[in-house]
Amino acid sequence: MDLGFLYMVQLFCISEEVKMVKMTMIARVTDGLPLAEGLDDGRDVKDAEMYKQQVKALFKNLASGHNDASRMSVETGPYVFHYIIEGRICYLTMCDRSYPKKLAFQYLEDLKNEFERVNGAQIETAARPYAFIKFDTFIQKTKKLYQDTRTQRNIAKLNDELYEVHQIMTRNVQEVLGVGEKLDQVSQMSSRLTSESRIYADKARDLNRQIELDYRIACCKA
Amino acid sequence: MGTENPGRPNFPMTASPFAAAPPPTTTPFSASGPVVGSEASGFRPQAQPPQNTMPSMSSGPVAGPQASGYRPNNLPARFNDPPVSSPPAAYAPPIGGPPFQRYPTPQFPSVHQIPPPRAPPIGQPPFQPPAGQVPSPASFHPQPQAHAVPMGSPPSRASDLQLPSDSSSFAPRANFQPPFSSMDSSYSAPRANLQPPLPGYVKQANSVSQAPPMAPFQAQQGSYAAPIPTPPPPYHPQQGGFSQPPPIAAPFGLHSRDQIQHPGSAPPIGGIQGLAEDFGSLSIGAVPGTIDSGLDPKALPRPLDGEAESNLLGEAYSMNCNPRYLRLTTSAIPSSQSLLSRWHCPLGAVVCPLAEAPEGEEVPVINFVSTGIIRCRRCRTYVNPYVTFTDSGRKWRCNICALLNDVPGDYFAQLDATGRRIDLNQRPELIKGSVDFVAPTEYMVRPPMPPLYFFLIDVSVSAVRSGMIEVVAQTIKSCLDELPGYPRTQVGFITFDSTIHFYNMKSSLTQPQMMVVSDLDDIFVPLPDDLLVNLSESRPVVEAFLDSLPSMFQDNVNMESALGPAVKAAFMVMSQLGGKLLIFQNTMPSLGVGRLKLRGDDLRVYGTDKEYALRIPEDPFYKNMAAECTKYQIGVNVYAFGDKYIDIASLGALAKYSGGQIYYYPSFQSASHGEKLRHELARDLTRETAWEAVMRVRCGKGIRFSSYHGNFMLRSTDLLALPAVDCDKAYGAQLSLEETLLTSQTVYFQVALLYTASCGERRIRVHTAAVPVVTDLGEMYRHADTGAIVSLFARLAIEKSLSHKLEDSRSSVQLRIVKALREFRNLHAVQHRLGGRMIYPESLKLLPLYGLALSKSAALRGGYTDVQLDDRCAVGFTMMALPVNKLLKLLYPSLLRVDEYLLKPSSQTDEFKNIMKKLPLTAESLDSRGLYVYDDGFRFVVWFGRMLSPDLAMNLLGQDAAVEFSKVALGKHDTEMSRKLMGVLRKLRERDSSYYQLCNLVRQGEQPREGFLLLTNFVEDQIGGTSGYSEWMVQIHRQVQQSA
Repeated sequence: MDLGFLYMVQLFCISEEVKMVKMTMIARVTDGLPLAEGLDDGRDVKDAEMYKQQVKALFKNLASGHNDASRMSVETGPYVFHYIIEGRICYLTMCDRSYPKKLAFQYLEDLKNEFERVNGAQIETAARPYAFIKFDTFIQKTKKLYQDTRTQRNIAKLNDELYEVHQIMTRNVQEVLGVGEKLDQVSQMSSRLTSESRIYADKARDLNRQIELDYRIACCKA
Repeated sequence: MGTENPGRPNFPMTASPFAAAPPPTTTPFSASGPVVGSEASGFRPQAQPPQNTMPSMSSGPVAGPQASGYRPNNLPARFNDPPVSSPPAAYAPPIGGPPFQRYPTPQFPSVHQIPPPRAPPIGQPPFQPPAGQVPSPASFHPQPQAHAVPMGSPPSRASDLQLPSDSSSFAPRANFQPPFSSMDSSYSAPRANLQPPLPGYVKQANSVSQAPPMAPFQAQQGSYAAPIPTPPPPYHPQQGGFSQPPPIAAPFGLHSRDQIQHPGSAPPIGGIQGLAEDFGSLSIGAVPGTIDSGLDPKALPRPLDGEAESNLLGEAYSMNCNPRYLRLTTSAIPSSQSLLSRWHCPLGAVVCPLAEAPEGEEVPVINFVSTGIIRCRRCRTYVNPYVTFTDSGRKWRCNICALLNDVPGDYFAQLDATGRRIDLNQRPELIKGSVDFVAPTEYMVRPPMPPLYFFLIDVSVSAVRSGMIEVVAQTIKSCLDELPGYPRTQVGFITFDSTIHFYNMKSSLTQPQMMVVSDLDDIFVPLPDDLLVNLSESRPVVEAFLDSLPSMFQDNVNMESALGPAVKAAFMVMSQLGGKLLIFQNTMPSLGVGRLKLRGDDLRVYGTDKEYALRIPEDPFYKNMAAECTKYQIGVNVYAFGDKYIDIASLGALAKYSGGQIYYYPSFQSASHGEKLRHELARDLTRETAWEAVMRVRCGKGIRFSSYHGNFMLRSTDLLALPAVDCDKAYGAQLSLEETLLTSQTVYFQVALLYTASCGERRIRVHTAAVPVVTDLGEMYRHADTGAIVSLFARLAIEKSLSHKLEDSRSSVQLRIVKALREFRNLHAVQHRLGGRMIYPESLKLLPLYGLALSKSAALRGGYTDVQLDDRCAVGFTMMALPVNKLLKLLYPSLLRVDEYLLKPSSQTDEFKNIMKKLPLTAESLDSRGLYVYDDGFRFVVWFGRMLSPDLAMNLLGQDAAVEFSKVALGKHDTEMSRKLMGVLRKLRERDSSYYQLCNLVRQGEQPREGFLLLTNFVEDQIGGTSGYSEWMVQIHRQVQQSA
């Protein structure tokens, strides 16, 4: 057997530059039930746990119906979550901010197509977490294809004008996760506004009357 | 054989016991033999197994109990009658058909001897069934005659009487005789002859003396009492032994002879009746000052009737999980610390959470994901059959902490008039003691991991020469299709000698790429990916690698081994996912971190206080590494080979603290040991494995688990971290009581194992068991489980051997047995004059034997010269993880005689069963005209008697028959006999596939092989200064009495 003996003296760490896709998760939107996840997600992400928590919160948020955009990018720290929602399934990936949005969404589209093809019929009836964990091998494989932005394949995809991602909204994670809370605030504020404006009106009327009265008194005095 | 005797009619019932005994076959008895105590009813018939000599003693009545005890399970009433037999039961096995077969019935008559008191036979009718099984039934009948005999007791007489009657009865005698022989020369001779064949019977013989008189007592030692015609079921058999007092006052059993002869002993009977105890007794007749113990070896209790499953609690707790998952040392929890302190055995449990269930008894999987798993909100107990629903089904009360919990809406069901949920039958978790819950996301810190197997293979020169690499590579390759978890399964390989070789197995390659890292002080992983690959994707590359692995290193002359750095490297590759790390190590690690040096060659250390240091890891690296591995969900299995010392004590720590297992193949050569490695490695790779698991055992208030024993790492005080656990691993735990008295009637135990199945499902396996709380020490003894006690004893003794001398370990076992028996004796000494009898609870009748076997096991035996250090450590590690039944088999292996089976023209399945009669483990069981198979679960020894027909040997071995056996491997030959023998071995292997028994052939008298292969393992014999079974019993008995 012809095995090349490569004596490696130095650890060369490719991971930092090349591993652009950090984490991939697939969940059911209706109840936030996780269906599949990339194999070794979060390997070189600091605070991977925190980001996973954010993703969970995001799914919860989606389940409660606050965000209905089917495609969205959410910035968090040095990373971005990109997700697409299709057929009540949310496909989400976390990438470096520098990773082209276009590639990220194409990656998610690939996952979506395969996932629907393989598991489509059973998605609604899935009754346990990670019911489609076997899909992780496909995630793994696909992720590798998208890992390096400099490959011919990915450059070609980047140049593909047919796939447009410009109109996909980008928001901040705090904003998104806080959105539910803010809506509540807005309605509270508006109701406060209503009541306060009523008070203002009343006060204004009083004031007017007062002024008129004062004026008359002044006139009288005069 | 003699058919029924006239006498029979008289004692219809009684006979049975005997019968049972002889025919090991009868299940009830047999079971009992080993187990004892099974009866649910209060009575346990005791087993009085050992009565041996005593029979005469007395109390005929006594005898009965034993039998009854056993029986209880099946036929309570009958049992009583039979009472006696039980002790015999133990023996019985040997007795089994085979013996009979061999000896033509006629022979027996000659024997005559003592009309074995078989009185018990009386019971025959009931037993008959059993009898039927055994060819011997007829023999039973004779028993009646025996009755008569018993009276006459004197052996001589007996003989006369009996002659006419059944041979069977004689047989027993034969057994007895041996013991006596010392006493009476005359008898001895005949006996000797008989002995081999009929060991089992012996007991009965003993009984003889007892008395027929007792009729009323049925139970009594079977032998005596048995006769009792009446079925007075109520009496359980007591042990004949006790009652005896009258006859022979002498403390020491000696009586036996005399007593026997004097039927007179009967008198005691009356008193006996009262006893409803379950205990066995043994007369120990050693005359002070003499060496000979007047103990009849044949009458000693032995586990010859197959596995004893204890199910003492019966119906009341029918929803308990099967004992294969959880066995308590006693199924009766003491209510106070003071009571516990009088129970000198360990109080605890042996848990085997994933034990293999026979077909049809698989653990049901229940999906609660939508409602969430129902658990007590305070103590976190899982819903189980013992929770109670109240408030029209809206609340449930936790059986462990008594908290009232709300029933979630989705789980609500109405209660019927009796308070049972109307949907009970659709809720397996409310009717079964063992269930698997599908875990919701809260039980996951990450997605379920894929099954992952990482191989770390030593390729230094010794590994190459032994052929290990080739066998390993072939086996792995042959198992690729069966690795669990397709299509997610991940695999990876590292090989090492003085450098570390990584393999890139990227699926797009056609050949793996090898990368060599030679900097052992600063290990790094040369590639971020593709060292660990998905098997289904990289299959061709993996196969190409395995195909070329043996040849790649065939010319390697590197003698060094950098195991430590290699383990670190593997750890780095695996740490992301966890999984199973299999290490194949052929030499002592010599380079880098964790290098070891030759130790154990300094004889001066042995026997000193420092001796234990050789049995613990030399370098803390191994334990630390194991702890790290556990943290990252990596379980390590160590396969150690090598013809020299490789320090299993150190290497084993890797497996011990990561929940793994050690396999040791001393002097491995692929030609002779390859099959064993192949089988065991394949089993390791393909058995269902639970990944990234944690286990906790909960129990009711007032008690708690205070220590755990086995291969694992504790994550918190009571949480066992088990990176990879499977059906071959069991864990021991000891219980302690809190200050306060237990006020509840029942204590509950719940084992919960949270794990990831290979299919990627996260599950919680829950086993629940309920056990009564008792205030009486007698109850504790009655419900004791010898198997679980022995298992804990073994674990404790092995742990002790890691910090003390072996001798201390052994004596601590002995001391605890003595204390337990003494306490038991005190319990009964007041009521019954015990004279010189040794008494013990029927449930613990095998405890002394297993204690003896334990101290003679390779882990604890002797000193430096008796067992190689590596062997000793390897056995110790293995015993720490073995489930109860496998441990018992290792301690008291089975010995089968097969030549008759092979010679018979054609065989059917039931004949096959007949040959499965275990013989007592003593050289006396070996007949030089026979062919025997010894099976301890780890290896076979096939023993060829000196006088075995050459024809048989030729048929089995072909041309090899004349060659030195150490060089011969038993292979298939195209002869009927060879096929049959292979069939027998195959069946024995199928009984338990966790290890593969390699076949060793040995000829009688072929030293030293016969010695170390077989004779040293005959635990009942005196070997190299250790006590034989009888001496051991006498010793224990004396110690019990000394401070009684």
